[in-house]
Amino acid sequence: MHKWILGLSGLVAAALALPLSASADTFTLWTRSDSSTFMPKLVDAFNNSQKEHHADLQIVPVNELVQKYAVAAAGGTAPDALSLDLIYTPAFAAAGQLEDLTDFAKSLPYFNALSKAHMSVGTYNDRIYGVPFSADGSVLIWNKKLFKQAGLDPDKGPTTWAEIRTDAEKVNALGGDIKGFYFSGNCGGCNIFTFTPLIWASGGDIFSADGRKVTLDTPQMRDAIAFYQGMAKDKLIPAGAQTDTGANFFSAFATGKIGITPSGSFAIGALASQSPDLEYGVTPLPGKDGGSSSFAGGDNFVVSKGTKKMEAVKAFLEFSYSLDGQKLLARNGSLPIRSDIAKEALDGLDSRYLIAADAMAKGRTPYSTVFNDLINSANGPWITMLNTAFFGGPDAIEPAIQAAQSTMQSIVDTAP
Amino acid sequence: MSVNTPATPGGAPNASLRPLRKPRRDWMGLLYVAPALALVLVFFLVPLGMTAWMSLHNWPLIGVPRWIGFANYRALWNDINFWNALAFTIRYTIAATIGLMLVGFALALLVEKPRPFAGFYRTAFFLPVVIGFASASLLWSWLSNVDSGLFSPLAEALGLTDGRLNLLATFAPAFWSVTAMVIWKMAGFYMVILMSGLHSIPADFTEAARIDGASALQRFRFITLPLVRRPFALALILCVSGSMLAFDQFYIILAGGPQNKTITAVYWIFSQSFVSFRLGYGAALSMVLLAILVVLSVIQLRLLGDKETAR
Repeated sequence: MHKWILGLSGLVAAALALPLSASADTFTLWTRSDSSTFMPKLVDAFNNSQKEHHADLQIVPVNELVQKYAVAAAGGTAPDALSLDLIYTPAFAAAGQLEDLTDFAKSLPYFNALSKAHMSVGTYNDRIYGVPFSADGSVLIWNKKLFKQAGLDPDKGPTTWAEIRTDAEKVNALGGDIKGFYFSGNCGGCNIFTFTPLIWASGGDIFSADGRKVTLDTPQMRDAIAFYQGMAKDKLIPAGAQTDTGANFFSAFATGKIGITPSGSFAIGALASQSPDLEYGVTPLPGKDGGSSSFAGGDNFVVSKGTKKMEAVKAFLEFSYSLDGQKLLARNGSLPIRSDIAKEALDGLDSRYLIAADAMAKGRTPYSTVFNDLINSANGPWITMLNTAFFGGPDAIEPAIQAAQSTMQSIVDTAP
Repeated sequence: MSVNTPATPGGAPNASLRPLRKPRRDWMGLLYVAPALALVLVFFLVPLGMTAWMSLHNWPLIGVPRWIGFANYRALWNDINFWNALAFTIRYTIAATIGLMLVGFALALLVEKPRPFAGFYRTAFFLPVVIGFASASLLWSWLSNVDSGLFSPLAEALGLTDGRLNLLATFAPAFWSVTAMVIWKMAGFYMVILMSGLHSIPADFTEAARIDGASALQRFRFITLPLVRRPFALALILCVSGSMLAFDQFYIILAGGPQNKTITAVYWIFSQSFVSFRLGYGAALSMVLLAILVVLSVIQLRLLGDKETAR
């Protein structure tokens, strides 16, 4: 509440200050708390790089961003621009809240090098409403020390589901508190990020490209669920995974007692600061018999409809797309979103970032205007299906998939 | 009675004067209650009216509201998830209310009399009440964690369970664990209400009964119980309406799980409004829940109300 009032007064102050300081054109920018490492640095760098424009940053707690934006938009105090979790772009565009950025995006010389997955969810009815801003790709990480102890090659990560399974078994055999594998069994957001790539890499998908048709009922989905179910049944994962709503998504591996876990590129920076002694490797999430895929996550940059600060917003975007901007992002927890200069931007950093950046560049993002309802909801059809099927018997898989398929399709069909 | 009788003749001349003074008094009275009225208006009636207004719209969190009349209420009638949530809420309310009333009453009897350390026990029993529901839930969800908590490893160490049992993974242990948390946290509150009721029972009643040879059980049954009916009714209404609005504990400890079996009515309203972004529908659900609560409170008041005033 306090932050909210501060934010409001900040907006008012910005509006009042504007006529006085005609030299600097101030625009307001919101971001979610997940970006609180790189965003202030990027904004400072932008404000110091020139005198014409000034960005005024407001950081909003991640779970309240959509609500706060909605309230502000209804009251006519929406920020000029917003760095938005990319999966919400279709919903915001469909609600008619966003400025059309098609012409600006296409005028950029590096338009074709911008992350394809971000662009696909940034596009609504063939117009571009959100452009790539920050990126996070899902990958598989393994504990090299435990691999060594279990007699495995510590420098070779698993490349198929069968290899994951056998490696996890061997690590699990070390006994005690040590477990072979980890996943957050009751977290929809975690599993769309790390579980769907297993299906994509095996040739399946969960939605049609336009998001109007739900395609859960596939052999790839059944196999992937059976794969996780087997590991849960044989106790290769800690018992707490069944009820983990995401609290231990990262921290379980950081304790050093987990052999393998699917995670995201964010973990590379987080592990460096929280568990600097942990030796681990990064590899793409594999398909059943090889191949790989990744969930391209992160933020799209969107502009509130009717803003008068378009020039300042464009200048800020061009700055963040520059090599300096991309380097700054890469050093503070986001992958570069320009594939043409990704290598340069990551130069001198942990080489594991390159593996994650490659995975992300080939990554995908599901498209839906009701993503929150279907996937992120703690009680939505996606996580209900996965939790029931992962921790049930082999007979539980089929009914769980059928129930989720029909619930999801009816949510999509009745979406406004 | 003996106190009231002489007052009546004194009151009579006053009553005959009343018509003369009445208009001015009314205005003065209104002035005195105006601040309270303003508060009720701003913080209760206006939001209530707005909720009712929203419930007649398709009101998305982002985007433009559209008038749809009573369509939300018709959709609600067929919303199996809401009725399931309501059924679960009632089940929880029954369990929590019985538990809270029994434990609260037992604690009140325990600490009512001036015994050594009574003050200490009163404070100790009341202490959990001042913790917020959210903090208590976070504490409990850590204690119930199968890997790093207390209950499961403790049960295993004591040999009660074979291996560690994930308390929150199946319905029955999860439900009773949350209910136990609520009883631990709230029993002290009802203890205080019931204790004040026990204190207001005149000591001469029990003394007279004791002289007449009534046993402890008879004194409890025929003196204590009837005389704490009013504070008991207050405690019951607070407890039932509080439990019907349960949300934090199920949201924080269980996130509505396992398999969405512990979604309460308010949880469903929250989920529809802020997860599915259907504010209008959430408002309609709130109106229905409000109506149910009003009906429940009226029934309880009727059942437990003072027979003297009812006559």
